[in-house]
Amino acid sequence: MRRKFAYVIGIVAVVAAGVAYTLASGNEPLLGLDLQGGASVVLEPTGPAEPEELEVAVEIIRNRVDGLGVAEPEISTQGGNILVQLPGVDEQQRALDLVGQTAELRFRPVLGVLPEESFTGDDVDEALLDAFALTEGDVAPEAEVVLPQYDDQRNIALRYILGPTAVTGDGLEGAVAQYQSFIGWHVAPTFISGAAGIDLFNEVSSRCHARIVECPSGQVAIELDNEVVSAPSVQADSVVFEPFERSSITISGGFSEQEARDIALVLDYGALPVELEAQQSQIVSASLGTDALSAGVVAGLIGLGLVSLYLLVYYRLLGLVAIASLGLSGAMLWTIIAWLGESQGLALTLAGVTGLIVAIGVSVDSNVVYFEHLREDVRSGRTLRSAVDRAFPVAFSTIVKADLASLIAAAVLYFLTVGQVRGFALYLGLATILDLVATYFFMGPIIGIISRHSGLYDNPSRFGIPVPAAPASQSHSHSQSQAQSQTGAAAGPEAAARQGAAS
Amino acid sequence: MRRIAGVLRAFYRGDHQVDFPRLWRHALIGSLAVVVISLGSFAVRGLDLGIEFEGGTSWEVPAPQTSVAQARDALRGTGAADAKIQTLGGDTIRVRADIEDPEAVDRVRGALAELAGVTGNEVSVTTVGPSWGSEITDKARNALLAFFALIAVYIAVRLEWKMAVGALAAVIHDIVVSVGFYSLFQFEITPATVIAFLTIMGYSLYDTIVVYDKVREVVGRVTATGRYTYTEMMNLSLNKVLMRSVNTSITSVIPVLSMLVIGSFVLGAVTLQEFALALLVGIVVGTYSSLFVAAALVAKMKEREPIYADIAERIRMRGASSGDATRVVADDDAALGAAAATKRAAGSRDSWSGARTAAGAGAAAAKTASAGSPAIPPRPRKTTGRKRR
Repeated sequence: MRRKFAYVIGIVAVVAAGVAYTLASGNEPLLGLDLQGGASVVLEPTGPAEPEELEVAVEIIRNRVDGLGVAEPEISTQGGNILVQLPGVDEQQRALDLVGQTAELRFRPVLGVLPEESFTGDDVDEALLDAFALTEGDVAPEAEVVLPQYDDQRNIALRYILGPTAVTGDGLEGAVAQYQSFIGWHVAPTFISGAAGIDLFNEVSSRCHARIVECPSGQVAIELDNEVVSAPSVQADSVVFEPFERSSITISGGFSEQEARDIALVLDYGALPVELEAQQSQIVSASLGTDALSAGVVAGLIGLGLVSLYLLVYYRLLGLVAIASLGLSGAMLWTIIAWLGESQGLALTLAGVTGLIVAIGVSVDSNVVYFEHLREDVRSGRTLRSAVDRAFPVAFSTIVKADLASLIAAAVLYFLTVGQVRGFALYLGLATILDLVATYFFMGPIIGIISRHSGLYDNPSRFGIPVPAAPASQSHSHSQSQAQSQTGAAAGPEAAARQGAAS
Repeated sequence: MRRIAGVLRAFYRGDHQVDFPRLWRHALIGSLAVVVISLGSFAVRGLDLGIEFEGGTSWEVPAPQTSVAQARDALRGTGAADAKIQTLGGDTIRVRADIEDPEAVDRVRGALAELAGVTGNEVSVTTVGPSWGSEITDKARNALLAFFALIAVYIAVRLEWKMAVGALAAVIHDIVVSVGFYSLFQFEITPATVIAFLTIMGYSLYDTIVVYDKVREVVGRVTATGRYTYTEMMNLSLNKVLMRSVNTSITSVIPVLSMLVIGSFVLGAVTLQEFALALLVGIVVGTYSSLFVAAALVAKMKEREPIYADIAERIRMRGASSGDATRVVADDDAALGAAAATKRAAGSRDSWSGARTAAGAGAAAAKTASAGSPAIPPRPRKTTGRKRR
């Protein structure tokens, strides 16, 4: 008895402390992007990638995202993929484009331009390429390649024939977007000084300026991710390339402000070590997210209210205990979810919310299993007090068996699947464990305590337990069932009607 | 009316006697029919897989006064003219198309925003690459196999292997019926639906284990009397656990129904609605399968065990069984068994470990029979019991 009091007081104290801590520290559940709007993308390397390369990529992506000013980004590797989640981000599509961009910058001398009749749209005359040993697309730094330049409508404007790479983005120190009145928005990269950076650039610029064989056009192409951004001529008095013994240059290509800023941003943090491809991207508008959240909360509350009502009507005082027990595990859940969000950056998603709503059913069942045991024992003639002590271990073992099956399911799903299903499994598992805790430390002991309260234990009907039938009617039903077999479906109502009349 | 009230009162008081074994025969026919329809629909109509499994893009935009035809008009020229267009919850337009190119995706996004008179940021977009879907599906299939294996082992260890067979059969029954429901009505399968199916599996198993545990408890006690066949004891257990199943189903269905109703009225709660629909079907089928499919299978298997075959044979010889209806376990016998079980439990700390040893082995049952109560008729004979027939 003393132990029961200790359990109840203990768990209530623990839960109260948890709630107090959560309120005091201002922890709040972190909402997933499907509940507050935002963008997410799963990026997969196009080729084989080392784990270290992925880690570097994650770091670079994190820097880019920080550069965008997203509040609580979550960037992580998952399997061989990179998962980027940007809750609450405004310009979602732009953010996703920036995150996945390889940002491989190369400077190549321009050898020439493909004549317009050699290609129609996307198709290039293969015979011509073969004849000059050219390949389309950037296959290797040393190769001579054909790369397109796009106009504002993303149509191919020109196809350049380019020589081997002279300088890569590795030679850059950083980049900023700038505005000047007569060239508009442009990007100003700064090179690393010395042989690894600016010297390489000056060398290729000099050669082009001299229009030697390796650079007959006198142009240096600036290539970003397999596209020519611009291909300015190197001229001493050029607006674009000022005298090339300089430590900085500008790249202009008729950019809008946003384009210039985006290019500067990706150049600033360097290229990703691997090329990534978006496997799955999701954009949730803020209004859709909040609507889903409020719908989930409203549905949960209404459901909870109706369940409470049903429990009260059916189980009376026991129903009250069940509701208190639900409330207790709910408070624990809130504390843990808020803590997980605050310290682990683990967000509550819509799938998680549905997992929790499902868990209501499982939690209530723990109570129902026990209550039905009690009713059965009292019906077979036990007093409520002795029934309470006998039924709990039996009921609890059933609850543990069934809950363990749920936990196994949750664990398998958590470890073997990805995405939404994982969130669901996590919260289902969490709620199941808390249900066990609430059942063992609160629901069981407190029923033990109140069943000893004089004035309650001698009146089981307050517990929603029908008072055992009077001795007369008991022997009656007994003899009836022993007499011979009976068809249950027909006998049920008959017996009930007779008993109804007797009581 | 009074009759219905009487039936309800009987259920509330626990005086009901439902003849489950008799219902099993009808259930078998019903279940078989539904499973055949489900599999047939699956074979003929297949499933309406969402873009998450096949690759492509889905756009959602709040557009209360817009029809599907208007949306299709607006999408002409964006390359998504042959897209699937639906209205959801009355005020959301959802477009799905096999488009993955970012610029084309953005064009459609712009067109939809213009149509609905909102900014581009109000359009929700999900794009899935073609290989991603198969990756997800592979992972899900592996998870499913691991789940089945683990659960089978768990139930075999914790209860017994025949119950593991019954539980898995019931779960597969539930999944086939739920998937069949989706195939028949051509509802779209989304990740939310998959989660719902997984929940259904979990719920069905949970429910089946609760039922089995009750069966074991009752069988462990009543076998000692030697007066009842396994099926009759199963019937008693199911009647005892019936109100638990009904109440749990009701309390589980209430939140799900509330999701369904709220989801269909509130904008943006489409996922909730889809989820709730699958769950509703699953919970109802799951409760049914625990009481009918899972229980019936175990009863059929256990009746072949020597000890129960023996008891059944003796009862038949005495001519105690009669026709179609299942005999009801007398209150006396159930209570006597209970007393014996309590006496045994008083010795060991947890009362159910006693029930466990009694349930399986014939020897243990015989021992409790001799030790337990004076009113016990002929005990099961071990020597003849080994014969299998």
